[in-house]
Amino acid sequence: MYQFVLCWRYLRTRYLAFACIISVMLGVATLIVVNSVMNGFSTKLRTLLHSVLSDVVIEGHSMEGFYDPVGKIERIRKDPKLDAQIESMAVTLETFAMVQYQKANKEFATRPVRVIGIEPKARTQVGGFSEHLARQKSKTDPNFDIPDEIRLRWDKAEESWKAFREFEHREAVKKAEQPVKPVSIEQPLIGVPDEMKHIFAKKDANAPSIPPPAPVPHVKRMPPGAIVGHLVAHFKYRDPNTKEITDGCDIHPGDSIVITTVTTGESLKPVYDSFVVVDYFKSDMSEYDANCVFVPLEHLQTLRGMNNRASSILIKLKDYRQAKSVVDGLAELFKHEQLGIHTWEEKQGPLLRAIEIEKGILNVLLFMIIAVAGFGILAIFSMIVSEKTRDIGILKALGASSGGIMTIFLTYGLLLGVVGALFGTILGLSITWNINGVEAFIARLTGSHVFQGDVYYFKEIPTDVSTSAVLLVNLGAVAIATVFSILPALRAAMLHPVQALRYE
Amino acid sequence: MHGTTPLLSALNLRKTYVKFANKIEVLRGVDIDVAEGEFLSVIGNSGSGKSTMLHLLGTLDKPDDGCIHLEGRRIDNLPAADRDQLRNRTFGFIFQFYHLLPELTTLENVMTPAMITHSMWSWWLKRGAIRKAALEMLDRVGLSHRLKHRPQELSGGEMQRAAIARALINRPRVLLADEPTGNLDAANGQHVMRLLRDLNQQEGLTIVMVTHNLELVHHTDRVVRLVDGRVESPEKIAMPTFAAAGAGT
Repeated sequence: MYQFVLCWRYLRTRYLAFACIISVMLGVATLIVVNSVMNGFSTKLRTLLHSVLSDVVIEGHSMEGFYDPVGKIERIRKDPKLDAQIESMAVTLETFAMVQYQKANKEFATRPVRVIGIEPKARTQVGGFSEHLARQKSKTDPNFDIPDEIRLRWDKAEESWKAFREFEHREAVKKAEQPVKPVSIEQPLIGVPDEMKHIFAKKDANAPSIPPPAPVPHVKRMPPGAIVGHLVAHFKYRDPNTKEITDGCDIHPGDSIVITTVTTGESLKPVYDSFVVVDYFKSDMSEYDANCVFVPLEHLQTLRGMNNRASSILIKLKDYRQAKSVVDGLAELFKHEQLGIHTWEEKQGPLLRAIEIEKGILNVLLFMIIAVAGFGILAIFSMIVSEKTRDIGILKALGASSGGIMTIFLTYGLLLGVVGALFGTILGLSITWNINGVEAFIARLTGSHVFQGDVYYFKEIPTDVSTSAVLLVNLGAVAIATVFSILPALRAAMLHPVQALRYE
Repeated sequence: MHGTTPLLSALNLRKTYVKFANKIEVLRGVDIDVAEGEFLSVIGNSGSGKSTMLHLLGTLDKPDDGCIHLEGRRIDNLPAADRDQLRNRTFGFIFQFYHLLPELTTLENVMTPAMITHSMWSWWLKRGAIRKAALEMLDRVGLSHRLKHRPQELSGGEMQRAAIARALINRPRVLLADEPTGNLDAANGQHVMRLLRDLNQQEGLTIVMVTHNLELVHHTDRVVRLVDGRVESPEKIAMPTFAAAGAGT
């Protein structure tokens, strides 16, 4: 009983103990914050990656893709087991291409992109598409249709083109109606074959004049729509006035872009077509936003001469935990075809693994902080034991056993660990939950941003508190505090009562 | 009181301390008997081994040679746990420098030996009775008005009286006092001595008191003088309540 009473008193009256508590607290708080932020990064990144990638992807190995994607989907649907696990599927055709557009200063710009042919509705059902669209955000049936205001603009432009063509035609007719001066060539026609001499023969003034050119038939053509990645259409620059990083816009909705890619087959031929920008794709993953251009699937298939071919089938599962069995089932179904079948995690394997490794290493390093706190406890406890030597002698004279004395100091260590861990958890969690506020405060204090949104994929510091990690950190801190108090506690227990009593 | 076996007896106690390669023979064969209900004082110059002898009697330390018996049962070679229990229940200690625990209040200090006796559970069950006993004990030593004070807020005399209350809370058989008035002024010293005397006479408490103050000897039944680690000769001082024969040596 006395152990606990004394322990509690020592905790309340020894200011040195607060040093121990603070060191444990700081260690625990740091671990929790760093862990939560790292977790947040990895969770956010996974969510982002997963939000653009579907659960399972079937893909061809080459740019030619594979044949009959629709038939394959039907085959999958016929398999009752797979059919039960799969929620929806979408065919996509992805290839590299060049996109050319006119910048605001009328300069032409060309940049490489990944052009992806999709059926917008099916792609939306697979997920990770329409929620990233700027105009048609989270619509269930996004499309490439050209909105009316853009169509109106195009019609106006069309009108003026038409007028211009008519003017051109009139000019041509006028030119044709003027009498043509006869051309005479006096020189002997040396080296000109006989059958071509009439070209250079003297023209008769009365000969019928060249008929005026027929008017160019005006074909009204509306190019198909395209959805371009946000960072394809925009560029980041630092505003000289506000010093803020802002988006500049190169491609506006309604602008036309020209996409150039190649056909498939034996001989590759460049093909191109113009598209009207109808929407932006903004997933906050620069890898996608800066590279992707979505166009209608059929149009791209026709353009590249790939009828009924596609490069991948995206699959959304009803329950992602079944991914492994779905992949196995699909591999069995398509075992005679050269198709790659992967979950999204397998596709992003190296990146996800790298983050996990980083987190592991960081945790080991940070745990050393708590180990440092442990050595602090060791030192401070040794001091407290020295300070309490006489009290230990008194207690022994009153009949306390060595084990009892040891219990005092072990319980003391445990208590310091528990209190430190508790406060550390409170501090760590409150920092974690207000991390962006803390960041803003530090930024105001120091004048430089700790977290720069443009470096990462995200605007804010993402956090994700994992209960098991918090528990583990707490447990570790308490264990370290207790373990490091063993030595001083042993020393206290071993003190000879008579010498301890004489100790001044 | 006049039984054949003394309450506490030591035979040929020897103790040598080694300090910086110097061997100091503190006790060179001390024989001493303490009868039940006796108030024995041990006197001697400093360094004569009085305190060491007291520590050995109270099982705080182990003799190099010789043996100590409590009611005929040898106690100096008992296992640590048994000796802890003896110190807790059979012996009560008071010291020159009071040795109260500075973190605890007077009342808590007095209750400490009881806390050591009881586990948390039995403490919880008996806390009322223990508290009552402690309050009675504090009342007995005249400190009922100082319950919530910390030792540093008490005077020397009060501290020593609190220490006496603490030593008695577990109703020990023997009170071992090491210079109990050594650090007190005359008035307070008298007060403490009177208290010890009363405890001895009214409650029959056996007391072994070590002192170098010859004046205090008059309060006690019997005096033993230690010289150079040996008992010089049993010196008897006539006292009104003198117990005729100490157990013979």
